[in-house]
Amino acid sequence: MSTITIRKATLKDIPFLTKTIIEAEKSGTSTLSYSTIFGLNLNEIEQLISEMLLEEVDDCELSISSFLIAEENGVTAASLSGWLENASEIPSSVLKGNLLNYYLPRECFIKAAESAKYTKALHIDYIPNTFQIGAGYVEESFRGRQLLGLLTEELIKGLTAQFPSINEIYAQIFDCNTPSLKTYERAGFEIVSTKISKENDTINYLPSLKKILLKKDIKKSEQKINNLNK
Amino acid sequence: MERTTITEKITPVFRKVLNEASLEITDQLSASDVDNWDSLSHMLLISEIESAFNIKFKLKELNKMKNVGDLISIISTKLEE
Repeated sequence: MSTITIRKATLKDIPFLTKTIIEAEKSGTSTLSYSTIFGLNLNEIEQLISEMLLEEVDDCELSISSFLIAEENGVTAASLSGWLENASEIPSSVLKGNLLNYYLPRECFIKAAESAKYTKALHIDYIPNTFQIGAGYVEESFRGRQLLGLLTEELIKGLTAQFPSINEIYAQIFDCNTPSLKTYERAGFEIVSTKISKENDTINYLPSLKKILLKKDIKKSEQKINNLNK
Repeated sequence: MERTTITEKITPVFRKVLNEASLEITDQLSASDVDNWDSLSHMLLISEIESAFNIKFKLKELNKMKNVGDLISIISTKLEE
């Protein structure tokens, strides 16, 4: 009998988390921002992400502690990350920027500076003191089983237990990522805004010219479920 | 180096990287106060500051900086090492 179990990620999961981050960045396209922005090949990107994860910096999209893992009979099937933004009074974008600055080869910085204008065009700030969902990925052989939905639910439960006063959770996705959009909508998220890049060259660096911001009001959703169960 | 001198030296770096020509640098300024201070901008900002002062931050030092005041303090300490 197959049973899906959910657990927190550990150092042993770094290869799967690296794959998750890469596939989430690509959002179903062949455009990998780590490659287009920094000029790295896949091996170099895998090495870079692994090194940054190994640092175990908490509260950002490159934190092992932000990830949950779904597995079936010991086989890793999916993972998803989420964290409280600004938990240590430092934005997650700063923590990620620190890691990139520390680990990226210097020659990548010139190329990165050239692309900054195009990637900024789609930047949406994370709101402090809200939960944020980061990278998610499901192995192909496990797709269609709502694992990302299950992980989202468990992530919210875990974060809410840890920070009960926080009521909002956000997810940012590219509009080309239809499977993720459907998953989050099924999980009770609603689209609150979209950002469209006016820089056409953005498409040379990122998977799409359009980003979607989704939000879920946790307490409101719980109330709705309670009312339906009455 | 005096804190005011460090501030004078980092101001043009912040303005250039964050593309904010009139950005006022104060000790309290943080990434949350400036639109588009994303991970890429932050990476470039730190790199340019390291070049300007010929220093290299440790990751632990970087992850302690909550605002520009903290950044200036760490630069000042590193210049005295």
